[in-house]
Amino acid sequence: MKKKLLIFLLGLPFLGYSQSFQVNLQGQKQIAMGGAGTGAALDEASVFFNPGAVSFLKQNGVQAGISPIFLKTSFRESGSNITEHNKDKIATPIMGYAVFGSPSNRLRFGLGIYTPFGGAMHWDENWTGKYTVTSLDLRAIFVQPTLSYKITDQIGIGAGLVYSNGHVDLRRAVPLTLNNGQSGMAKLEGSTHDFGWNAGIYVETISGVSIGVTHRSSVNARVKNGDATFDIPDALISSFPTKFNATLPLPATSTIGFGFYPSDKTTILFDANWVHWNKYKDLSFDYDNNSRIPDSDSPRNYHDAAALRLGFQNQTTAKLVLRAGVGYAFTPVGKGYVTPEVPDADRVLLSAGLGYKASERFNIDLSFLYENVKSRTERNIETNLDGSFKTLVYIPGIALTYKW
Amino acid sequence: MKPIYIIKNIFVVAVLAMASCKPEFKEVVPSKGSADFSRYIAVGNSLTAGYADGGLYLEGQQNSYPEMLAGQMKTVGGGDFFTPFFTQAQANGSGYLKLTSFTATGNPVITTETSNLAIRAQVTDPTFGPLTYYTKYTGDINNYGVPGIKLLQITTQEYGNLNGYFERLLPNTPPSNRTAYLDFVTAKPFTFFSMWLGNNDILLYATTGGAGDVPTPKATFSALYNAAVGKLTGTGAKGVVATIPDVLSTPHFNTVTLPVLLATVRATAPSVNALYIRTGAGTTRAATAQDRFVLPLGSAGVIGVPTGGVPYGLSPLNPIESKWVLDPEEIAVVNDYVSAYNATIKSVAAAKGLAVVDAYELLKEYSAGKTVNGATVSAAFVTGNLFSLDGIHLTPMGYAIVANAFIKAINTQYSSSIPIVDITKYRGVKFP
Repeated sequence: MKKKLLIFLLGLPFLGYSQSFQVNLQGQKQIAMGGAGTGAALDEASVFFNPGAVSFLKQNGVQAGISPIFLKTSFRESGSNITEHNKDKIATPIMGYAVFGSPSNRLRFGLGIYTPFGGAMHWDENWTGKYTVTSLDLRAIFVQPTLSYKITDQIGIGAGLVYSNGHVDLRRAVPLTLNNGQSGMAKLEGSTHDFGWNAGIYVETISGVSIGVTHRSSVNARVKNGDATFDIPDALISSFPTKFNATLPLPATSTIGFGFYPSDKTTILFDANWVHWNKYKDLSFDYDNNSRIPDSDSPRNYHDAAALRLGFQNQTTAKLVLRAGVGYAFTPVGKGYVTPEVPDADRVLLSAGLGYKASERFNIDLSFLYENVKSRTERNIETNLDGSFKTLVYIPGIALTYKW
Repeated sequence: MKPIYIIKNIFVVAVLAMASCKPEFKEVVPSKGSADFSRYIAVGNSLTAGYADGGLYLEGQQNSYPEMLAGQMKTVGGGDFFTPFFTQAQANGSGYLKLTSFTATGNPVITTETSNLAIRAQVTDPTFGPLTYYTKYTGDINNYGVPGIKLLQITTQEYGNLNGYFERLLPNTPPSNRTAYLDFVTAKPFTFFSMWLGNNDILLYATTGGAGDVPTPKATFSALYNAAVGKLTGTGAKGVVATIPDVLSTPHFNTVTLPVLLATVRATAPSVNALYIRTGAGTTRAATAQDRFVLPLGSAGVIGVPTGGVPYGLSPLNPIESKWVLDPEEIAVVNDYVSAYNATIKSVAAAKGLAVVDAYELLKEYSAGKTVNGATVSAAFVTGNLFSLDGIHLTPMGYAIVANAFIKAINTQYSSSIPIVDITKYRGVKFP
């Protein structure tokens, strides 16, 4: 049986999960189900997945979870026989949700804290693409107070205000040689504070199928007066900037999701996301001193991209729930625009997980997600970095829930 | 299906996946194709020797394109490769230019390294003038690059007494060296060669403003090129040759421009609005934007200094000498010879089935400005990453770009797959 299951899991056509620097790790149950969850009132994470479903939750609760990301990217320059790997550096997106109010009331309240965008890519300081990037740490933590209202016993609506707190730290080598023979280095670091919203409708149809439709707005993460630090020859330092402004558009996502309930114990979820990436036309840095470096305007020209997610859940015993999921995410990055900080491509995903009811009040959920990002070989139109990228991602996760 | 099995399996998959981890690409097996790299020799001048910053020194030798090429050839059966390195104790070889600071106006201050040199003797020959000899090298040689050598001189038996870089490789002391360069490099059997010769047959004419040398006649060039390739391929060796770069696109002719010179003069004499030059043909006239001043004029400190009571260069009565400037007639001569030489190189290579690196096109393209793996490369003096401080020879990064062009040309001609070098591992001009 063990062998069969392994073959089954490893042999599946791999299906996908997140896209570019969008992170889809917002709830352990949903992660385990391929990231689907918009069309069901699963748990407190509905604050993120569908505010309209929050008023349908049967219990109040608070949960907290973490999903450490093990990102493994390899690069080989075209014509070279050397494969370079990114550094082992673990990003740790967290998620926490709370749902309040009487379950018998039509109006419920929710609060969510989650990380919908981010990335942690660290290359060797002397790697082939060092003049494009040596490391990127990016995270946008969203805090979302939410109201959910059950209009009828079949229809609920909900909306939340999003406060986004972002942080970016981008480093790269500068093609000027220091006296010790090493390249110069640049570090751009800044914070952002911006607002957005998240709204959804949830419908439980008389046929038994549940449907959710949501829209999460775009957020423009604006870095104002970020710090530009250069480790370059002293003779040139006064001609380099010390501050920069930049804007990174975090795209809107529209989702339709369905929940099917073939038996009392089995749930099947399907989500289709449409991520409005076309907003991400370029990455521009506006520096306070242009005598040596002009303001940069790197074309990105992302296009909108879909993601499809399918998840299964089975109440195996009174205390144990098993979950599995598959998904596919289309890349928003066109040919010639792949960059080593986000070496994106179409990706496939496979997930599994379980929930264990330790007591009436305490639940524990575990998930494991495997992402296989397709290999991609091309020359970047801006940097001329020419080579192949291949990425695998392993994301274990855990969440603890207290219900009342 | 008991849940415990499933939990175990999920655990097994998770552990397996995270342990196996890093994605790998299909393995590359480099191939030598139809060539044999077991003994590769590099034939050429300063560019082949790794000359940079106006001198030949150990770091430059270590970053020569033949060293890079030979390193990569090792993956396809290449053998040991020896460059006649200067010793660590004499690592600074002939001495070289260093960027030591910048003036208040941002001009580079360039000084000469004079410690730990490999100079053995300096003499003045009654016919050939001052000659410098270096510590002898006695060991295996694969990199035969000799700074300064012209194609014109490769069959001259006495040349080993006149060029200190060549003399250093020969067993005897002047005046008893009688081995011509072409005979010297072909004395030991070899299986593959690179030959990048001919640059100096026009270079000295250009860098001396058309005043200090005469170009090698085109017919002589063609005859010698045929002879050289004939001898190198005579024992069945395969090889690669390269064309002569466009010397006019180097910083040597594009840094000290008329506006730059005028601005310097005007700082103290605001009324000056023209500089006067003597052309190669002997006419005196006001300089125009079409005249190319050579790099050393910028630091020579002669302009505006009175000689015979008249400020140098500021009056038709005391014009800038022809040696400091290439006028349009001289530029036309340079272009004409370079294109004739290159036509010869390409046709000889085609006739013998050799790989060709079009260094003329390559360096022109990079000189105009190009982004390489995110790094900007151009012919800008000091900051352009391509040319070293002499404005003619390349930086290690520049030589790496050339090495990859050689590798690509070889791979194309001989269906081999020598891996390229990582250009970003090599430096540009070193800042203070």
